[in-house]
Amino acid sequence: MSEFNESGAPLDRLERSPLITGAGYRMLRRIQEHPRAPRWNYVVGDRLVAEDLEAVDRFRRTVFENRASRPGLPPPEIMDRVRMWIETIPLFLERLPRGFDLERDWVHVPTMSREDVAVRPEDIVPPQADRSRLIVYDTSGTTGHALVVPFHPRAIAKNHALMELVLARYGLRPEFKPGTMACINVAARAHTVVYPMVFSVWNQAGFAKVNFHPRVWPDPQNARGFFSDLAPGFVTGDPVGLAEMMRWDIEVRPAALVSTAVELGAGLRDRLARRYGCPVIDWYSTTETGPLAYACPAGRGMHVISPDLHVEALDPEGWPAPEDQPGELAVTGGRNPFLPLLRYRTGDFGRIETGPCPCGDPMPRIMDLSGRGLVLFRAADGSRVNPVDVGRTLRRFVLVQHEFLQRADGSCRVKIRPAPGLPPDPEAVRDALIDLFGAGAAVEVVVDEGLGRGDSDRKVVPYRSEIEAPD
Amino acid sequence: MDSGPMIEALTRRLAECPPDFLREPRIGGHGEIDTAAVVADLLVDLGGGPVDRQQVGAFQVQIKENHTRNWLRLVLLGAWLCHFDWFRQAGRFAPAVLRFLQGGLVELSRFVSSDLFVTDPDRREEMARLCLAALGLTPLGERPGQAADRLKALGSVERSRVIAATRKKEARARKLREEMAAQKAREAAAKVNHE
Repeated sequence: MSEFNESGAPLDRLERSPLITGAGYRMLRRIQEHPRAPRWNYVVGDRLVAEDLEAVDRFRRTVFENRASRPGLPPPEIMDRVRMWIETIPLFLERLPRGFDLERDWVHVPTMSREDVAVRPEDIVPPQADRSRLIVYDTSGTTGHALVVPFHPRAIAKNHALMELVLARYGLRPEFKPGTMACINVAARAHTVVYPMVFSVWNQAGFAKVNFHPRVWPDPQNARGFFSDLAPGFVTGDPVGLAEMMRWDIEVRPAALVSTAVELGAGLRDRLARRYGCPVIDWYSTTETGPLAYACPAGRGMHVISPDLHVEALDPEGWPAPEDQPGELAVTGGRNPFLPLLRYRTGDFGRIETGPCPCGDPMPRIMDLSGRGLVLFRAADGSRVNPVDVGRTLRRFVLVQHEFLQRADGSCRVKIRPAPGLPPDPEAVRDALIDLFGAGAAVEVVVDEGLGRGDSDRKVVPYRSEIEAPD
Repeated sequence: MDSGPMIEALTRRLAECPPDFLREPRIGGHGEIDTAAVVADLLVDLGGGPVDRQQVGAFQVQIKENHTRNWLRLVLLGAWLCHFDWFRQAGRFAPAVLRFLQGGLVELSRFVSSDLFVTDPDRREEMARLCLAALGLTPLGERPGQAADRLKALGSVERSRVIAATRKKEARARKLREEMAAQKAREAAAKVNHE
């Protein structure tokens, strides 16, 4: 039997959400036990303690007040952190000689890649870091590297301040209070976690991650009832989830829709804006870096979201790309104490612009962002398959990298690069993918030890589809 | 082993390295100084005769890699050091100097920035002694064993910093991977937006 404290929340909830209050717990139960709720399949908290809220408050002030355009070098606050990293973190000790002059020689700082994080996290997590609150997220993302990313709950909580900033840039200042639904995150996938939550960083306001899938919500009418009753302040999700929300005819009046994960096409953005009568904001984020940029309200690319990030566009050798040409976006800084980012190559491309912007945000802008193109596959029965589901299926196997192609005739080929010393079972990989794409799907599995190695002219594209692009 | 110049003469020369030798070495289309040309001129001045471009091909770097730039900067500094009167007047050191510049500075370039071989007295002394050892010389007034001991002591300082980090690496890697695997089995923390 569970024990309770003053909040009324049982101990297992208090372990997950140490700061939950009575009002927060009542809100959580309201979402959880809502008669039209989806079939929840996951339990999670924010894992925050009181000092975290103070840290988020400080971060919020910085993010709102310290915005500036700084062409060239990272600002001094980031440089100070980098100076500490290169003295203590094995990967950087190995790559940068002692006495390296960061200011003078910034363009010579070696870049780091997703492969570094995938293959040698022990050389990146600072040796002196207190790992008692370590959490991890896994992803197979945009370069096809299977990746387990170490994180800290406080770093995740700071994303809330970034969301507030972005909403504020669009003139929105939502009031977060107990008993209200701050946000619903939407997805449309074969498999994903679905859970209710309250965020202590948002004053115990409610949140839910939902999935528009018949297995989760057998009757769309229930989804409609859930949304209209809880009335979220804003809705987040990837473009597929947001499009599915519209297709399910979800009636909701959010202050904004925030789109993430992959590029939001102008067509879908406009349809969503018309349907829901609110701004639709593209948000650029990766699992490793956290939020990076948001769409400028004046339509001038995407502003770097936070002053603790320095974003550059680089050529394949790590030199700055010419100003008028796109380069691979590389990130320095961030707020994850377990993953210091030093010229971290995101695999996405764009140009960096500085200087005044009509929207008033002085932060640099990423122009012509590319690399996040939406790819969709078809199952044997013609239904859509999200690349996220393919990645999730492949993550069950110990792989370093993969490349998945669906041809015009629907047949699939996946190239896999196994982890060193761990021979893969191609049959098992094939069976798992047939499970996802349905009986009758043609799937070929190719073991390719050289995938993603040593051929800089050919970047691994983890997901490609030759079937007709969806609207 | 022959006796060479005084160590202080060489360290002073390093401290007085002119800015030209500290400019950016050319890598691909970037940088200013053609390191291969500098080395070729040096070898001629050391009595090596006309230099075949192939002999100095190693200094024509096209691709930017982790330590190549620091190595080229060290080579330029080494070239300045080896252009010292004493070596030029001897007229016999061109082959040994070429070997020194090609291979004798590679390991060092992984550990220490070239700047410190100008500004830091210990690193200047290390570079000067490395150079003399590569040329088969001992500093004036020192016995070979004494010179070798001093060089070893100087060299171990910087390497030990990286080696110490490497030594602890395996145990740390195992522990961290275990921790991450254990956390993977648990839920993380809720996000307002999923990437």
